[in-house]
Amino acid sequence: MSPIAFNGTAVEQNEEGFLVDPSVWNEELAVVLAKAEEGLDQLTDDHWSVIRFIRNHFNESGNAPMVRSMCKGTGVPLKRIYELFPSGPAKGACKLAGLPKPDGCV
Amino acid sequence: MPELDELESRLDALVEGDFQRGLEVFRSKLKEAEASYLNSCVHCGLCASSCHYHRADATLENVPAHKLDVIAAVFKRNFTAMGRVAPGLVGARTFDREMAKAWVDAVFGRCSLCGRCSINCTIGIAMPRIFRAARAALGAMGLTPSDLQATVDNSLQHGNNMAITQEDWVETVQWIEEELQMEVDDPEAKLPLDKKGAKILFTVNPREPKFFPLSLQASAKVFWAAKEDWTLSSDPGWDLTNYGLFNCKDDEAGAITQNLVDAMERLGCKTLVIGECGHGYGAARWEGPEWLQKSYPFEIKSILELMDDYLREGRIHVDPSKNTVPVTLHDPCNLVRHGGICEAQRRVLRKSVTTFTEMTPNRAENFCCGGGGGQLSMARYKNRRIQSGGVKAGQIKDTGAKIVVAPCHNCIDQLMELNKEYKLNVQIKTVAEMVADAIVTTA
Repeated sequence: MSPIAFNGTAVEQNEEGFLVDPSVWNEELAVVLAKAEEGLDQLTDDHWSVIRFIRNHFNESGNAPMVRSMCKGTGVPLKRIYELFPSGPAKGACKLAGLPKPDGCV
Repeated sequence: MPELDELESRLDALVEGDFQRGLEVFRSKLKEAEASYLNSCVHCGLCASSCHYHRADATLENVPAHKLDVIAAVFKRNFTAMGRVAPGLVGARTFDREMAKAWVDAVFGRCSLCGRCSINCTIGIAMPRIFRAARAALGAMGLTPSDLQATVDNSLQHGNNMAITQEDWVETVQWIEEELQMEVDDPEAKLPLDKKGAKILFTVNPREPKFFPLSLQASAKVFWAAKEDWTLSSDPGWDLTNYGLFNCKDDEAGAITQNLVDAMERLGCKTLVIGECGHGYGAARWEGPEWLQKSYPFEIKSILELMDDYLREGRIHVDPSKNTVPVTLHDPCNLVRHGGICEAQRRVLRKSVTTFTEMTPNRAENFCCGGGGGQLSMARYKNRRIQSGGVKAGQIKDTGAKIVVAPCHNCIDQLMELNKEYKLNVQIKTVAEMVADAIVTTA
């Protein structure tokens, strides 16, 4: 996958659109990823609430949170999370939060 | 591309001993019949159109017979008289850096081990067996794609392939129990954990608790309606997946299978029930005893067979008018073509929905979704995975269905991506989710 242009730099993604280097992530980049990867023109407060929760969890523990934690930590109901991120919690929300691709059947 | 750069550097680091070790492992994995298959292909070409990779991209490298040739060339050079004496005459090739790279591309990069070429082969060459032996050889040379290996390593180190902690797993189970109690309005509806002596130990795909727990809730609702005596395990042994089937390192695959055997013994259950997962069923039901070199002292079933039993015995009742959106069914390769579970899911669906349309072709002749064989975990081959999945996308479109039922979480993830890429505009569900929606409790 070609790197995406962002603030005059080239941000590298893997073939599936996850950041190669999660440490380059910031909220401006999340907006670019949202458009490029999920077709989202705008991120609502609920989107941000989930994205920030995932990012904080990743910064603290180095992995993606359970969807249970996402719901509990943000107050956003499960079915709403699926609506907010069309590709789901992993390939949608975690990708926009700049996490590496989770292992397993995803 | 970082993953391919990494492969190049690993290929650069190979020394003579690595090639020898690869050859030894390859030879050790071949039984007589498979070795003879390596000299049997007559290049009739029938396999080309059987392969979803080739149908989506008609290049020579995607013809199964060509992939087999890449493997056979090395076999002939090292293990046949003609190949040793006159390699040029029989197309034999030395196992070197270039051929190792060609092997990786053929068996990891262009094959989901779906086996459709094999049943359409005039000679019946067992391609998946040979390609698995080649994957094992490459593994012994340190050439297993790192993201595929990471999924196996998670299982070995954490007891599940997503490295979920016991605390997180248990908390999610308790949460889903509360959700189920609200859904069915029964405080006695349970997701039992570590219930010793329960009849059934139910196992799930870690993807369910981690990201998609509604399928677990649906399975639990079916057990509740059937008044089943069941349990989940809080320790390793709750995860039904086994990516050892795909990295083809039998010792690792066996160690993962042992988690299920240990949980059955610890809890004293009679039947191990595998949730909706193709490779997990194939690994546990058919390969596990081979890896462990012993028979299981318990019964093993797919949840599809169990739901079929419940409906036939009248233990649950369904009202198809609760599912009126047109439905089609995907046949996961490891469950159907390799696994032999073919009709149970159809009987269950016909009773649970009003409009069920088969894909063409179906059952043993189904096309792989493109996500099998560990493809879903190997990021470097994403574009080929989506392209080869175009065959399945076309099948789905032709049915006109708005719900695709897939009894496999691996397939479901791939189908979700195909849904987006090919604008299918469908919902993707498990069989248990359809049954759970149709359940009526006042029979």
